[in-house]
Amino acid sequence: MEEFHWQRILEFVRAVAPFDALPPEDLERAVSAMEVAYFPRDTVIIEQGGPSSRFLYFIQSGSARVGLPGAGEGGGELLVDERGEGDTFGGLSLLQGGKAMFRVTAREDLICYLLPGEVFKELCETHPALERHYGASLARNLQAVREHVSCELPAIAGLEGLSLSAAMVRSRVRELMSPKPVTCLPAMPVKAAAHNMTQQQVGSIVVAQPGGHPLGILTDTDFRVRVMLRACSLDEPVAEFMSCPPHTISPDAYAFEALLAMSHHGVHHLVVVQDDRVVGVLSDRDLQAITGGSPVGVVRAIDKVASVGELVRLHPSIDRVVELLLRMGGSAREMLALVTEFNDRVTTKLIALTEEDMEHGGEGRPPVPYGWMALGSEGRREQTLRTDQDNALIFANVPEASSERVKGWFLGFSERVVEGLVRCGFPRCTGGVMASNPDWCQSEADWHQTFVRWVQDPKPVTLRLGSIFFDFREIYAEADYLDTLRLRLKQAMEDNRLFLRYMAANALYNRPPLGFLRQFVVEKGGEHANKLNLKLSGLTPIVDGARVMALELGIDTTNTLERLAAIETQGLLKKELAADLVEAFSFITLLRISRHLEARAEGRTPDNFVDPESLNNFQRKMLRESFKVVNELQSLLEQRYQTRLIT
Amino acid sequence: MSLVKAKLANLLLRRRLKRRDLNPHALANLEALEGLDPATPINECRFVVLDTETTGMDPEQDRVVSVGAVRLVQGRVRLGEAFSELVNPGRDIPAVAVKVHGITPDKIASARHGAQVFEEFLGFLGRDILVAHYAKFDLHFINRVMRGRYGFPLQNLVLDTVLMCQAVVLASDPYGISRHQKACRLEALAQRFGIAAPERHTALGDALITAMIFQRMLARLEAVGGARLKDLMRVAQLK
Repeated sequence: MEEFHWQRILEFVRAVAPFDALPPEDLERAVSAMEVAYFPRDTVIIEQGGPSSRFLYFIQSGSARVGLPGAGEGGGELLVDERGEGDTFGGLSLLQGGKAMFRVTAREDLICYLLPGEVFKELCETHPALERHYGASLARNLQAVREHVSCELPAIAGLEGLSLSAAMVRSRVRELMSPKPVTCLPAMPVKAAAHNMTQQQVGSIVVAQPGGHPLGILTDTDFRVRVMLRACSLDEPVAEFMSCPPHTISPDAYAFEALLAMSHHGVHHLVVVQDDRVVGVLSDRDLQAITGGSPVGVVRAIDKVASVGELVRLHPSIDRVVELLLRMGGSAREMLALVTEFNDRVTTKLIALTEEDMEHGGEGRPPVPYGWMALGSEGRREQTLRTDQDNALIFANVPEASSERVKGWFLGFSERVVEGLVRCGFPRCTGGVMASNPDWCQSEADWHQTFVRWVQDPKPVTLRLGSIFFDFREIYAEADYLDTLRLRLKQAMEDNRLFLRYMAANALYNRPPLGFLRQFVVEKGGEHANKLNLKLSGLTPIVDGARVMALELGIDTTNTLERLAAIETQGLLKKELAADLVEAFSFITLLRISRHLEARAEGRTPDNFVDPESLNNFQRKMLRESFKVVNELQSLLEQRYQTRLIT
Repeated sequence: MSLVKAKLANLLLRRRLKRRDLNPHALANLEALEGLDPATPINECRFVVLDTETTGMDPEQDRVVSVGAVRLVQGRVRLGEAFSELVNPGRDIPAVAVKVHGITPDKIASARHGAQVFEEFLGFLGRDILVAHYAKFDLHFINRVMRGRYGFPLQNLVLDTVLMCQAVVLASDPYGISRHQKACRLEALAQRFGIAAPERHTALGDALITAMIFQRMLARLEAVGGARLKDLMRVAQLK
């Protein structure tokens, strides 16, 4: 036989994520085991609650809907997802076994290639990427359901028996928490509470009212640092020593969210609350179990670090944990928030350590209060893995006489923080946007002046700087400099509305390559030397567009997704366009993150370029759609701000 | 011909051939109708969908250059059970035909001759029901070899997707405008059903398309209550 019989079908399957990762011989094996089936429109292919799927279905043509019967409006079917040509379904149900969680119906006449379950499972064993992919698809489905259903999901979907490996699926709090928390009334003597905890072998006790309403929590650590140090008698009530109010979380929240909450509040226990009643306790150890690594452990390690050197040594494990968490998957918003959370922590710690070092080195404490600003993507909380530094420093106004000395101190300080950040894996900003640059280490008054000047007299260079600086956010601040600065910026903008036109024109600088992908599809076999810059052609236009509108409307948040939501609320963006933009932004971000992770795994330096040929059908389709949406946004900007009037 | 008649003819044939020394393939083919029951649900039937490429359209002069077939069981086409062979026609291939199927003389120079390939196909076919588009044409070539080698024609039940399409698809055409030869062509039917060709236009690729069209028509037939083999035979059996 000179060639495989079903070469084109093989090509088709190869273009379907995640099968693009399979070597040819495995693809041939898969295709040889396949069957072609036809399902007339409205045929129920997999019934929710029925036996799990026997096949993985590849849609050759037509589309299918994934739904949850009885969960929609008026007891109808809730649409969870739609699958079209080049998509698959049934994979989850196959891996999961047990009862099918969702109903799959042919939305239109459907032709599918069916891969028998046994063959699929064999492939999963040799290619973990497959299993991961379908695990993540569960997460997406659940997310879709969770967005619509506030009621008890497990009861509807029969999710109790979730049996996929937990690291793969983004598990939910309900599955990880200790479901029978040890609780006590606020009046219980600490002695009795300690006794209970020891007997039940738990590390925390939840203090609750008789009805179950949580009042506080008392942990092992609290016993050590509060009870032992402060209690006069062990008969004093627990209410005296508990942390209150406790940090709580819903049992339906994802492990991811719990992790964010813990690292954000710096706690190791969350009280799981439903209908205002305690239903469980989630500790950082419960989370460690699913990640293999210990994210919270790392967060704790960052907090405990006593020197810059130690922090630098910790950097590989921080990286590993962040990477691990990113690989677990999640929405773009969560992933970006997570990376930012870790980076913020490192930066905050570095600032504190540097202050100490300066003091011990005889250079003294900071002469006046100051604030450390995160700018650019860090300011927007949109960092992926390692990105260049973008930061600045603002300090209290000082008399003319001492200004040079004060600025000198802060410049020295900033240089050390910047250098520390470099050693922790954040390269210096090539454009010099760093607090160690005298231009970006200024007193409050000077900053006000700088911003006002940029707004009053926009020039190409200041517009570019504005697009970095106007996304500022405080990482560390001893006073409300940044609120005042934001207010001043707003006033300046009121005084010169024309500035927005310039800002908008600047936002139109990067255009999405609309013809790019189409051309690519036609041009088979040519050279594809021209790669696509995901960041500049997809993300930057959205980020820039959202910034202009947010500045016009006086929206304070700097995060692009939050900006888009606020802009929509204020009616400047139509609901559909806003939703499409969020989708486009999230998709490109996820694509970018996955590319970065791939590069990492292969030991390459992550960049923002992607070879369109390496994208599968679905990704190409999504990217094309995303570019169209970006284009729509830019047309809107052109019209609203009349950018063509700028000569 | 009803299944009863076919079985009767088959029985007579077997009587007649009793004393002859037959090759195993021929013997097996004599049993092709066994187990077939008009009341069998279509979903439980096994089909082999066949397509051939030839040197031309003249059944007397022309010869087969390529055979492709896929098996369809429980309404699904099994890609892993496919038959695809080039055949040396033992004569030249007219340029016109090369244009149609792209099989050039040098490609089939090393191919086996019709009789060998045919015997192998007979093994692949087994007792399954044979389905083809313009089945008469394909059957003609098969039977020429069958008669030449074994002295009797193919015993399997044969269905024609063109007949079936005239009964199942075109009958529902409200104005009868499409009741035209062209509407029965493979490409026209594929287009009608919105089936994108999964493979190239080889014998095997066309066999797959035929199978997918057959699949569609089976669904239509079942939708109007024709769920048994006898219903299928009524609309598709080669007369």
